[in-house]
Order: sequence, then C-alpha cells, then structure tokens
Amino acid sequence: MISRSVEAREQEVLSAVALNAMIPLANERTLQAVYYILRGRKANQTLQDVHLYSLYPYYRMFPHFSKEKWDKIVSNLVQRGCIQVRTVSGMNGKSTFVVTPEGLRYASEQSNHYQLPRWLSPFSAWLLTFNLEIFWKRIHLLVQTVSQLAAARMDFIPVVTDRRIQSWVKLQLRNGEVRERWQAHLGDELYKLWSPLPAQVQQILAGQLTGAEHTGRTSGQLAAEMDLSPSQFQLLFRYGLASSVERLQQEKEAFSLLRILLDADHQERGDVRLSESAAKTYALVQRGISKADIARIRRIKESTVEDHLVEMALRCPEWDASEYLSSELAAAIVHTSEKLGTGRLRLIKDHLGTEVSYLHIRLALARNRGEATS
Amino acid sequence: MSTSLQAHLQRHFGYETFRAGQEDIIRGVLAGANVLGVLATGGGKSVTYQLPALMLPGITVVVSPLISLMMDQVQQMRAQRRIAATYLNSLLDPADMREVMREIERGMYKLVYISPEKLQQSYVQALLKKVGVSLIAIDEAHCISQWGHDFRTDYLRLPEVVRALGNPPVLAVTATATTAVREEICSLLKIKPEHVVLQSLNRKNIAIDIIPAADESERRSQVLRQMDEWKGQGIVYCSTRQAVEVLATSYQLEGKRRVHAYHGGMNSMERMLIQQQFLSGDLDMIVATNAFGMGIDKPDIRFVIHYQLPANMEAYVQEIGRVGRDGEAGYAALYYTREDVQIHQYMIEREYPTRRQIDLLAELLRQQQPLTPEVLASIELTQEMADLLLFYAQRVSTASREEVAASLEPGMELRDHADQVYGELERRKLLKQRKLAEMIRFAEERENCLRKRINGYFGEMGHEYTLQCCSVCGLERSLYKESRQTENVGRIETSWDLRQALSVLLPK
Repeated sequence: MISRSVEAREQEVLSAVALNAMIPLANERTLQAVYYILRGRKANQTLQDVHLYSLYPYYRMFPHFSKEKWDKIVSNLVQRGCIQVRTVSGMNGKSTFVVTPEGLRYASEQSNHYQLPRWLSPFSAWLLTFNLEIFWKRIHLLVQTVSQLAAARMDFIPVVTDRRIQSWVKLQLRNGEVRERWQAHLGDELYKLWSPLPAQVQQILAGQLTGAEHTGRTSGQLAAEMDLSPSQFQLLFRYGLASSVERLQQEKEAFSLLRILLDADHQERGDVRLSESAAKTYALVQRGISKADIARIRRIKESTVEDHLVEMALRCPEWDASEYLSSELAAAIVHTSEKLGTGRLRLIKDHLGTEVSYLHIRLALARNRGEATS
Repeated sequence: MSTSLQAHLQRHFGYETFRAGQEDIIRGVLAGANVLGVLATGGGKSVTYQLPALMLPGITVVVSPLISLMMDQVQQMRAQRRIAATYLNSLLDPADMREVMREIERGMYKLVYISPEKLQQSYVQALLKKVGVSLIAIDEAHCISQWGHDFRTDYLRLPEVVRALGNPPVLAVTATATTAVREEICSLLKIKPEHVVLQSLNRKNIAIDIIPAADESERRSQVLRQMDEWKGQGIVYCSTRQAVEVLATSYQLEGKRRVHAYHGGMNSMERMLIQQQFLSGDLDMIVATNAFGMGIDKPDIRFVIHYQLPANMEAYVQEIGRVGRDGEAGYAALYYTREDVQIHQYMIEREYPTRRQIDLLAELLRQQQPLTPEVLASIELTQEMADLLLFYAQRVSTASREEVAASLEPGMELRDHADQVYGELERRKLLKQRKLAEMIRFAEERENCLRKRINGYFGEMGHEYTLQCCSVCGLERSLYKESRQTENVGRIETSWDLRQALSVLLPK
C-alpha cells in the first residue's frame, strides 16, 4: 500500500533539507561539501565545516545518500532557480554556489511545510560525537533480550548481529539481580523516555523493536504503513533518537537503567569529543610530544596530525594551543576573517601574508568557533 | 552401539530416530573412516558432524564456505546451548580473532566453524594441531570439485590442510553432487567407495512445474496475479537484486498478501527482521535473490517460485529443496523466457578476468607491488579473481617443473604461464556455459518427465511422487492455489498507544 505520491514527497524533503544545509555554505564551500556533510563523511574538513557553520543536525543525516540521487536533487534545485553554481578565483578552480532569493523563499516554505526546525532541534555539538546508530542497536538488543528473559526463552536469534553490541548487552545483564531490575523497569523507563514525543515518533521507535512475542518492523515497512517517504521517516527517527539521548543526558537520575546507554560510549573510545584517531593524538600531545614526533610514532602524515590539532582546538577548550599559535596572531586572524566576512583560508592568508600558515588560520578559526559554542 | 547413538541423538537433539543415511555416516566417522555423505537439502546434514563432535575427544572443525551460514549455525547452537561452538572467519576483527583463538586454546569449544581461507593460515593450523582435531567436516563438499558448479580454489587446498593437521578423519557432506563430482571428492579426500553414503535426492512431495512466458511483461503480470493465489507461505527467487526490488515493489502496490524483498544489499538488521517475520508467519512471501534460504530451517514452506532461470541445475534443486520439509505437499514453479539467458551469460563473463588483466597483474607482481585493494581496483580485479589467477599460475608452473615447493616469484609464474592460466579460465567458463545449457534444456523440456530429468542429472533412478509429479506428466495447478476475496494488507487504522506497544514487548 505505497501511496503514489511518496516519490514526489521524497524529492521535496530531500530538496528542502539539502537547500537548508546549503544556505550557510553559499559562496564559501562547494556543493560537494554539503553532500559530504549529509552523508556524514569522517574527513576532518567535513567535521570542521559542520562546526564552523553550525550544521550539527545535518551531519550524517542520510548515510546512504547515493551520488546519483544527490546529483538529481542538485539539478532540480538549479532548474527551479533556487541555486546557481559559479566558479570564482581563489578556490583552486573549485566552484561554489549562491542561493537565490527564490531559493531562500522555497527553503523557508518547505521548511515550514515539513516542520524541519522542529525535527532538527535536538542536535547539538556534543551529539555530533555520539554514535546514534550504536545507541539504537543497543536499545534494540536490550529490549529483545529482556523480553526473552521475561518469557524464560533464551533460545532466540538476536536481531543485532554486531558482536560488540552483543557482548555489551551481555555485560549489562550479567547477573540475576540486575536482570530482575531490567525486567521490572525497562518498560517503564522507555515509557517515561518516549511518552513526551509526538505519537508518530513513538511509533517509529517502538514499532521497530522485537520481543519474544512480536517481531519488529523494518524502517521500510513502518514508513509504508505510516505513509511517510524514506527521508521523512529518517528525519523523524533521528529526531526521536537525538531527543532520547538529550533527555537521558539532562535527567540521568530519572533513568537508573537507560542512562548506561550514555556512559558506555565514553569508556569504549577515549575522549568522546574527538574522532578516534584525534583522541590518540591528543593523548600524546598531553604528554608534551611534538607534532613531527607524533607523526613518526603513530606512522601517520604530519598533515594528519595537524588536522587533529584543529579538531582539538575546536572541541577541547582546555587544550593550551600556544605552542602552535600565539594569542596575538589568533586575534589577528579572527579579526581578518570577520572583516572580510569569510571563513575561506586562501582569502585570509592572502590578506595576512606568507608568515601566517594555513595551520595558524585553521587553529585560530577553530578555537574561535569552539569558544562560541562551548 | 546403535542404542547408545540413539540415546545421544535423543538427549542432545531431541529426535527419536535418525533420518535416512545419518546413522551410517556417523558410524563410519566414529570408526575413524573418511566418509562422503550426500543428503538432500533439509535432510539433516549438520547432525552428522554435530553429534560426533559431542562424542569425540578433540575438537571437530567444520569447513564452510558461507560466512553468513556459519554465523547463523553457531548462533543457533549458542541459543540452544547444545554444543560449545564458535567460528573463525575474515569478518572477525583482529581483536576478536585473537580472543576466539585463545578460547579455543583453553578448550572452550567442541565445534569450530571455519572458512577455508582462514584454515590455510599457518597460525590457525598450528593452533588446531596443538589442541587436537578429532574430525574435519567439510560442508558443501562439492566446492572442491572442478566439475562442480561452485568450485572454490581454497577448497582444492584442503587435502594439504588435512595432512598438515595429522590426517584426522574427514567427513565430506553435500546436498548436490553429480556422479563426476562425487568421484572427484572421493579421490581428492581419499574416501573409499564403501564409505559413500548416498541418499535419494528425489523429493516426492514437491510437484515440479515449468511455465514458459513470451516476454518479461507477460511473465511479470502472470506472477503478480498468482502471488495472490498460491497456498501457504513461499519464496519467489529472482536472479538480480534489481529484479527483486521491482517485483516486490510492484506487488506491494497491488497485491493482497504480505510480501517483502530480501537481498544482500540490505543491511543486516533489516534482513534479520524480514527473516524472523517470515519464520513467525508475519509475512506470506519473500521475494529474494539466492542470498535467502541458506540455513533457514522452516518446515512448512509450501512453494518456491523461480521468477527467472537459475544458473544451473544444482542451484535450482537446492532452492526448490526448501519446499515442504514437513513432508506435506508442496509446489515448485520455474518461469522462463529466453531473455533470462543473457543475464547469466553476462554474469559468467564478468566473473572471470580477461587476458589483458592477467598480463597487468603479472606486471604488477613483477614490480613487486603489494596487492592492496586499491591496486587491484586499478586493474578492475577483485581479490577472489587475483587469488584464482595466482592459484592457477602456481599449479601450472609446479606441474611443468615437477617440483612441489611453491615458487617465490608468483609474478614470473603468472607471466610465463599466462596462456595456460588463461586457458584454464576458458575451461572454467566453458563448464559454466555447459551447466547453463543444461539448465536451459531442462526449462525447455516438453516431452520427458521433469522429475526423471532432475534425478537423472544427479545419477539417480528414483522418480516416485506423492501427490502430483510435474507439468510434463500433467499437473492440476489449482491444488496449490486458493482464492482470496478480502484484502489482507492495508494500513491498520488502530490508534497508537505507546503503553500498549511496550507491554507487548515487555509484559509485566
């Protein structure tokens, strides 16, 4: 029972999301950069763009976005007169784009129609480093396992095949006393967590779960039943996950069981604010090792270490960057950026002269941005 | 002996009696012989190595080419707490791999499933030798045969591995093997004729139907209509993921029954849910590629439909073999248009490297380039293709020099013997073409009994049937259909209640 207008709505939702993500990047970045953000590319450049332009809700919104589909969305937006691609000097021949007045109008119209501001509201800088997919798989397998425990039938096939998720769940439910608590209260805690959410979102979350007496629906099945296009579904699903995480974060004491879903992520991968690799670099930096030595020790390129430094500048306000950037120079760079009204490194560098390196500029902008958000 | 075997069967598996062939196989294995067991799909092959695994002192190694299948089996055994089992394959990350190996060393497992390429690795062999292997079971043993439809080079290296592990007894099992394939398995694995246990592959309760169609659009509308009509739960097989998506989506628009697509391009959670829904009866039909069905033990599947021509008779028989394992009447239909042949021609062509790719690979090796995925991608070779080429090169050159030791210069080998290697590939391609031609002849058979054709292909005489035989002998299709007046699907307009949804999952 798939309604025939689903495809049309899918195009509209994708266009609306893409266009809203494009607006802050107009004149500054390529269209490709927007695509990388929506797909959730792990490159440092992409992560920096997300921070620099506060595009947190958009990062990894559509992890399976194909290039083909993206090109189609872009050409639709061009045809509608919403955006224009143009080549400018000073970007190594790369082309940027502008969003037309019609584009701005269309973005806000569609934004209202599909309630984008609402569904994008719970995403913060902190959430960026939190893995929502792992969070969801853990909930999924916890519910299934506790349900099977309650039914006293442990011969079940887990819906989550990921070994690490399986051993994590096993660890949480290792002894009898703890198990009883989960059996007694998991349903209540989930109810408390999800009942404030809109009914559609509740249905998307709970409808996918599997228990001893009930097999969950796939996202495709639920979307069809609820008459949502795949991207609409994804928008609401991510809203549900992000809201759950935020709420658990804010009211830890109220969720004595479910709050472990937050703790565990920290233990597993070092400094949760950083990418895995950057966290390793940060650990070495804290021991006073220079960037050339870090590159040698870790067998990575020095430029990669520099990427990590920028990430640290962005997300670790306690890090003292003075070894790489004096506060005077930082201030000068930020000032220039504001005066020129751009975050483009090349333009800033041309203005300040050769003794200022790209690393200086990137660190200064990142630090400035990090302070603004923390 | 027999009573004690049965007691073990009862205690560990909960069955009263053995299925045909199982007991003979197990006895042979326990007596230390090398055994080949040919049992029909669903005939209980796994019991033939799982039961000995419980009774033998050391560990039992099960070689299986299908990673997903081995993971399913281990998962099931863990769920049932029947045998301490684990697996080693390339999907384990290094940390997990080390952990599993430590556990094996500590003697935590009786049964270790392993992929053939992992078994080639010397540190794995050293570990297994150290803990002591009582039995090597080789699942899908037809993969060892170059006459088989599914030949794998790393299977051909298994006899060496058996030697390296100190020649423990070998149990080869398969559900499909022609006479030529059986002979090759026996000669490679040193199995004596009296230790071949052959069960009839004839499935009496399945009616065999072939339905030719003029073209794709005629076929699609025919199948879409009939999906409403077939009795019970079933599987519709298509050759490609795209065909699966098109058929499933078109049916979901118009059809009356609950249907979902299934193929390797879907993520694992989705696949688990769909499989589970089918097992529990929430779905009536699965439209799938051949990725669906391995290791699924559902006794009451009533029909299997081939929307397109399968690649060969072996695959066809394996897939229809999933019908009616409970012994009740079942139905298998093969839809066929001449256009189907092209898909397979294309897939066969794409599966093997070209002559130019062979030369490029030889050149890379000569320059001592490490064969990273990127390097291979630059000449459009997959890892499997490269392995296949190196394997043939090594074999051809050792044959010509009559030396056993492998050369240290695979690049030279490949360059010097490129013609022979290419010739070998051409022979493989030709074999697949022949298998395809055999399949086409079967699909176009209008005179001889289809059941006899199938069984004859596997060197078997039996052709008994319980309800109906086949479309050549005459078939009343209405026996496998029922009329459905009401629409089963459609949005269920119940109001949403979170409390209630959660209490179904987590009852108090």
